[in-house]
Amino acid sequence: MSRLVDVMRAARSALLAAVVLSAGGGLVHAQEAAVVHITVKNHRFQPSEPHAPANRPITIRVRNLDSAPIEFESVSLRVEKVVAPGSEGVINVRALSPGRYNFFDDFHQETQGTLVVQ
Amino acid sequence: MRNMCARKKALACAGGLAMSAGILLSAARAWAEDAGAYREIETKYIFGFTEGSGIGLEGEKEFSPETVINFGKRDGRYAVSETKLEYEFTPNQYIQIELGPLVSYYDIRNVTGLDDMNAVRFSGFFGELRYLLIDRTSTSPFSVTLSVEPEWHAFEETSGARVVNYGLEAKVNADLELVKNRLYLGANLLYEPETTRADLGVWQQESTLGQSIALAYRIHPQVTIGAEAWYLRHYEGLWFNTFTGDAVYVGPTLYVQLTTKMFMTAAWNTQIAGHETGDPGPLDLTDFSRHRAKVKVAVEF
Repeated sequence: MSRLVDVMRAARSALLAAVVLSAGGGLVHAQEAAVVHITVKNHRFQPSEPHAPANRPITIRVRNLDSAPIEFESVSLRVEKVVAPGSEGVINVRALSPGRYNFFDDFHQETQGTLVVQ
Repeated sequence: MRNMCARKKALACAGGLAMSAGILLSAARAWAEDAGAYREIETKYIFGFTEGSGIGLEGEKEFSPETVINFGKRDGRYAVSETKLEYEFTPNQYIQIELGPLVSYYDIRNVTGLDDMNAVRFSGFFGELRYLLIDRTSTSPFSVTLSVEPEWHAFEETSGARVVNYGLEAKVNADLELVKNRLYLGANLLYEPETTRADLGVWQQESTLGQSIALAYRIHPQVTIGAEAWYLRHYEGLWFNTFTGDAVYVGPTLYVQLTTKMFMTAAWNTQIAGHETGDPGPLDLTDFSRHRAKVKVAVEF
């Protein structure tokens, strides 16, 4: 039975560690975010290569000027957001290392862009 | 005459070089055009039994039944499957959570040491927590995720006997992007302690240690194929107390993106080497099966 307690204790410790690590991520988010504005018109991102500072959280504001909904999505940013026609979607992204992070519209996959983090 | 011959050779050589350069140039152009069709991919499910480091997108929810089937023991007929009816979600950009019930199917006949059985059982519950430790970027192709998966079983996974079983599968999932958006190398480290109470009321402990390596190549933007190898060691006791056997599995893997919100993945592993303590025969078919297969279909919503 004491072995069972050991296993349960190990599971609890792992869960606690993950929560603490996750909270660490949350603390990074508590820094002031850099804001990036992107519009979508005629199924094109404008700008298609927005820039953002490295090691700071980023808020991406996506305004959809088309008549169809879009889904802003990025595997490397690990975000997705549906933005209705004529409205604005707000996407919060963790602090990023310098690099290029591709994004696209999942509903119109030819609509692509890259966030350049420097 | 000798000069003419040399000139002809030089011309032929230059022609050959020009042709080679042309072929290389057109191949490079085709590759560049091709590269545009291959966007970033979630690596979690592209390596078969080996798990990649992907944790999904923030806010993403997925229902994904996953079945693992073990085939073959030393003798008789043996086919036992376990299906995870898995609900998976990603609450933020660092963590992924999975949970769900387990359903098992046992088809066992004339296997030494096991009772015959043909039954479907609701066999337990599992949960999994994944934490992204090292993030892949455009300048660093390496990514690592840690995962812990507590499990409870009401029926023994191998025999189907009624038990109370608790396990904790801890894994390091790492992958490396070798060619951008095309070729990936994956590796797992596994440690799984378990404690089980059977009929006599005595708790028995065991543990499994494992490591894997896998290669996955996208042959089409929606199709990834690959191969993996696993080395597994089984022990009595939670901390590798008494070694009972080991096994080496190898096999092919497949990942297909069916639609933008749906994919399937499959893998087949065959035990090609192994050893069981106290048994002179090849392979360890007491702690492990001869073959194992995995099939998963996921729908994102």
